[in-house]
Amino acid sequence: MNRTLARTLTAVAVAFAVTLPAFAGDYPLQVARNVMLYMALAITWDMLLRSGQISFGIAGLFGLGAYASILGVVRGGMPGWLSIPFAGIFAGLAAFLIGFLILRLRHTYFSIVTLALGEIFRIIVHNMKDFAGGPEGIVVPQGIIFGGKSSSLYFLTLSGLAVALAASYWFEKSRFRFALTAVRNNEISAKSSGVDIFRWLLVTFAITSAIQGMLGGIFVMSYGFASPDTVFSADFTLLPLAMALLGGIHSTVGPILGGLLLGLVAEWLKLQIPYGHLVVYGIMIIIVILFMPQGLLGLVRKLSRKDDRRAV
Amino acid sequence: MALKRKKAILLALGLAAVIAILLWKPTVLIYGLQSAGLYAAIAIPMGLILGIVHIVNLAHGEFMMVASYATYFACKALGMDPLFAIIPTAIVTAIFGWIIFQVTIKRALKAPELNQLILTFGIAIVFSQAVNLIFTSQTYKMPLDYVSASMDIGDLTFGVWSFVFVALAIVYAYGLKFFLTRTTAGKAALAVGQNPRGAAIVGIDVNRTYGLVFALATALVGAMGALFLTKSAIFPGVGSPFTMKSFCLVAMAGVGNIPGILSASILLGISENFLRAFRGTREWADIVFFALIIIVILSRSLKGRKS
Repeated sequence: MNRTLARTLTAVAVAFAVTLPAFAGDYPLQVARNVMLYMALAITWDMLLRSGQISFGIAGLFGLGAYASILGVVRGGMPGWLSIPFAGIFAGLAAFLIGFLILRLRHTYFSIVTLALGEIFRIIVHNMKDFAGGPEGIVVPQGIIFGGKSSSLYFLTLSGLAVALAASYWFEKSRFRFALTAVRNNEISAKSSGVDIFRWLLVTFAITSAIQGMLGGIFVMSYGFASPDTVFSADFTLLPLAMALLGGIHSTVGPILGGLLLGLVAEWLKLQIPYGHLVVYGIMIIIVILFMPQGLLGLVRKLSRKDDRRAV
Repeated sequence: MALKRKKAILLALGLAAVIAILLWKPTVLIYGLQSAGLYAAIAIPMGLILGIVHIVNLAHGEFMMVASYATYFACKALGMDPLFAIIPTAIVTAIFGWIIFQVTIKRALKAPELNQLILTFGIAIVFSQAVNLIFTSQTYKMPLDYVSASMDIGDLTFGVWSFVFVALAIVYAYGLKFFLTRTTAGKAALAVGQNPRGAAIVGIDVNRTYGLVFALATALVGAMGALFLTKSAIFPGVGSPFTMKSFCLVAMAGVGNIPGILSASILLGISENFLRAFRGTREWADIVFFALIIIVILSRSLKGRKS
């Protein structure tokens, strides 16, 4: 794609995102918050995927961060805004420690273990009746952060997305990209060229988990409530995965594209089909995997390449 | 030699533990065995797919769920007992599994593992959400009186119906062993599982074998679904925990070791029911399985590193 075109598009998108609260009502802002949240999760999932590791534990870390944040406020007496970075640090540290054990695993085993870890977090919270509210969940007595003002909540989520985007951009432009791509393509050759695989994976896992935890914090703070079934919901693993896949994996633009498209579609479907609207997601995942494993981005690239050839 | 002694010690310790539990809390052993049978009967078909087609089928539990729903509505319409529906369900799900294999999984056999994993995950979502869409999340249950049959030994009373799962698991494990080692089709399947290219060279149609094995596995899990209906209420999410449990058991037993799934299930079933037997730990029973997965996978990977 043309570089100036890309810059103009980015500028327009940023301007649109920043000025949206000025002209949109409460409902569109709420939709935008949902879309941005899932989009940010999709980006962080993709960041780890660039090293070839498929995590199924997004919901686990998201929920861990969510509970860290809400318990920080309710039990630790933290102000709401502080609990969000706290959630990120907590989830990041937890992931760092867990990473020592599980980042030696590869392929399916890694995925299954991340899924299991998420479930373990959920069961632990479920059983901590006195401290964390158990299955009924826990409410922030002060209510929603910023008094529930929708434009403030919008900007809060937008800044969460900005963190994810900045991290992803940094991954793309720094040595991370070379290290992770090398690991993904061939671990043995990466190792023999001096890439410390385990360290890169550990740092990547900790950073992506920290962002996921922070997003969990943003989520609970903007609803003022957390329960095991809402914050550990499989949706938080499923939707980001589908978004990144549809948009195109191993890039920042892909998850944005997929997130925008699927996020809006999901919002519309939710109104049309109250039960089982996720079936569309499942079908989409299957179609993408079978017919365009590179996602929309890959499709665009392929088509533009064809055009180039024709022009020549 | 040292290994043998270690194994003997472990076996003795295990036996001692079983006897201790039997004397102290006999129900733990009984219900543990019953749930072990249930887990094993669901896990064995997954082990078959993983061992021969080399695909982790994340839609495994959903296949069973769909079979249970099909059985429920067929039985409701015809006024039939689910027990009579086991064979027809198996046939129908075999065809269904074969179609799913041909339409989706076959195209991803050569794709990277990530794509296969996500593909079957997508199939799982489609199944459970389609059922959710059609039948909503309402639970359905077959009222059957023979299910509540119980038995008394001394002052101990327990349900006996769930022992059918144990019987089914044993039939599955040894039936499959017989199939794979004694019949031509089974031997071909085993050969394909060990080395697809070699099998193709000696004239085995690899893709057809994959399709047949997948169909056979879905037939087994379909029959299990019909039987599952006798005991449990069904809802769209009823299958998904079994996918994870099955994978865990297969990983524990080691890919390709079908009878090993039986012993792995016994370990899982008994330890879960052990926690369930106490008031303080009852709520934590679900965690056993997830902890077990992680321990098993980690210890396996570390062992693999050493050798």
